[in-house]
Amino acid sequence: MPSEDNKSKEQQTAESEVESFRKDLGPFVVAAETTRMAMVFTDAKEANHPLIFANDSFLSLAGYDREEVLGQSFDFLMGHPTDPEELARVEAAFAGSSESEFEICFRRQAGSMLWAAVFISPILDKTGDVVQHFASFVDLSEHKQEEDRLRFLLGELNHRTQNTLATVQAIAVQTLRGAANKEVVDAFEGRILALSKAHSLLGRKHWETVSLRDVIDQILQPFGLNDRRAIRFSVAGDDFRLQPKAALTLAMVFHELATNAVKHGALSNGAAGKIDIVWHAEPPPQSDRMRLRWQESGGPPVVPPGRKGFGSRLIEGGLAQDLAGEVHLDYEPLGVVCQIIMPVRLQVGE
Amino acid sequence: MSLNSPFFDRRVLLVEDEMLVAWLLEDMLADLGCSVIGPASSVNQALAMIDAEAIDAAVLDLNLNGRMSYPVADVLAAHGVPFVFATGYDKDTLLEDYRTFPVLQKPIQRSELSETLAQLLTPQKPSVESAIVVIGETSP
Repeated sequence: MPSEDNKSKEQQTAESEVESFRKDLGPFVVAAETTRMAMVFTDAKEANHPLIFANDSFLSLAGYDREEVLGQSFDFLMGHPTDPEELARVEAAFAGSSESEFEICFRRQAGSMLWAAVFISPILDKTGDVVQHFASFVDLSEHKQEEDRLRFLLGELNHRTQNTLATVQAIAVQTLRGAANKEVVDAFEGRILALSKAHSLLGRKHWETVSLRDVIDQILQPFGLNDRRAIRFSVAGDDFRLQPKAALTLAMVFHELATNAVKHGALSNGAAGKIDIVWHAEPPPQSDRMRLRWQESGGPPVVPPGRKGFGSRLIEGGLAQDLAGEVHLDYEPLGVVCQIIMPVRLQVGE
Repeated sequence: MSLNSPFFDRRVLLVEDEMLVAWLLEDMLADLGCSVIGPASSVNQALAMIDAEAIDAAVLDLNLNGRMSYPVADVLAAHGVPFVFATGYDKDTLLEDYRTFPVLQKPIQRSELSETLAQLLTPQKPSVESAIVVIGETSP
C-alpha cells in the first residue's frame, strides 16, 4: 500500500498527465470521458501499471470516486490477487505488444465482486515505445449469473432424472416381485442402474463429452473392476472422448457384455476367468475411428446362444445404428470376443 | 435372510420421502437381514424415531420434500450413529461440512448398499492400532 504522501504525489502526476492529454487531444479526451464504455489508461513507465485516467462509466461500474483510483496499481482493482496464475495472466496482457483480452473478477468499492471482460492495448509514442496502456471493461455479471442459473437448472434436471430412474427401478421391482423370477428382476434392475450410471456421469460433465475410461470404470465397477482380491479385468488404451449418445450406448453395451460374462462366461460361478479390454485408434486415414476389443478367457467352454436376447440385439444393433460403428460379437470356444469399431475424438485434456 | 448375515437383526433407520423408493429400500434392507426402523418421510418424523428407538445405522435421503435432512445427520452424528446419505444429486452438491460422510447415488444398487452398510456397521479399530504405533515409536 502506498503511503498517503506517496499516493497524493502519484495522483498529482496522474492529474498533470491527464491535463496534458486534454491540451494535446481536446475532443478525444471529452469523448473518452463521456463514452458508455468503461475505460482507464495506465502508466507503462511504472511497474505496477498505475491508473492515470478513469472515465465516468468506469467509475460508476466499479463504484469508486476518481480520487480513490487514480494513482492506484491496476491490481488494486482486482483486490490485489495473490493467485500467481491470475497475476501472470494480467502481466502477460500488459507485456503483450498487441491487443489482448481476458476476463477478471474485480472488486467493487462496496466489496462486491464484478466479472468483467478486459481488453488491453498498448499506446506507443513517436519512437515506438509503450508509454501507456488503454484498458476497457465490459460487465459480464449478467452473463455470469445466467451461466450460474443454467448450471443450477442442469443440476436440477440431472437430479430429477436420477430420481425418476430410482422410481422406475422401484416400480419395476414391486410390480415384478412374485410375478417374475429373480433373474428377470435382476436383469431389468441392472439395466436401469447402468443407464442411470451413464446419465450421472454425463450430468457431472454437463452433457458435453465424457471419457471412454470413465464409462468403463462406472459400468464395470459393480462387476469387480477394482477388486484387489481377484484381478478379473485388464483395461488399456488411450483416452478418447465420447459424445453423450455414444457414451450411453457404450455403457449399456459394456453392461450387457459383463452381465453375460457373469452368467455364462469368464466371470461365471467358479470360473477363474479374465476379461481383457484393449483399444486404440485405427491407422490413418481412419485415425478418427477406434477399435476396441473385449476378450474373455478362462471361463467355461462357450456355447453360442440359441436365440438372440435383448443383450446381443443391443450390442450388435444398438452400436451399429446409434454410433455409425461396426460390431463383431463372436462366441469363440475359448471366450467371447466383441470387437467395436466406431468414430471417436482423441482426448486433448480437460 | 440368514442368521450368519453380518446385518442380521441390525436396526437400520430409513429416511426417505418417496413412497415407492422407500418400499424398495425397505425390501433391500430386509433382504439383507436388517430390521428396518421407519421409513420416516420427514425431518421431524426421523428425529422422533431417533429419540424413541435404538438405531445401529441409518440411510438418509438428502432431500425430504424440499427440506434438507442435515438436521437429522447432525443428531445421528452427535449420537455416534453411522449413516449414509442417499441422493439423486451429485456428491459435490452436499454442503461442505457433510462431504466426508458416505453417499449412495440414486438409484441405489443392492451391492453398493450392502457394501456401504457393512462398512458402517463394522466397528472402527484404527485408533487402537495407531495407539500401538505411537507407543512403539516413543519407546526407546
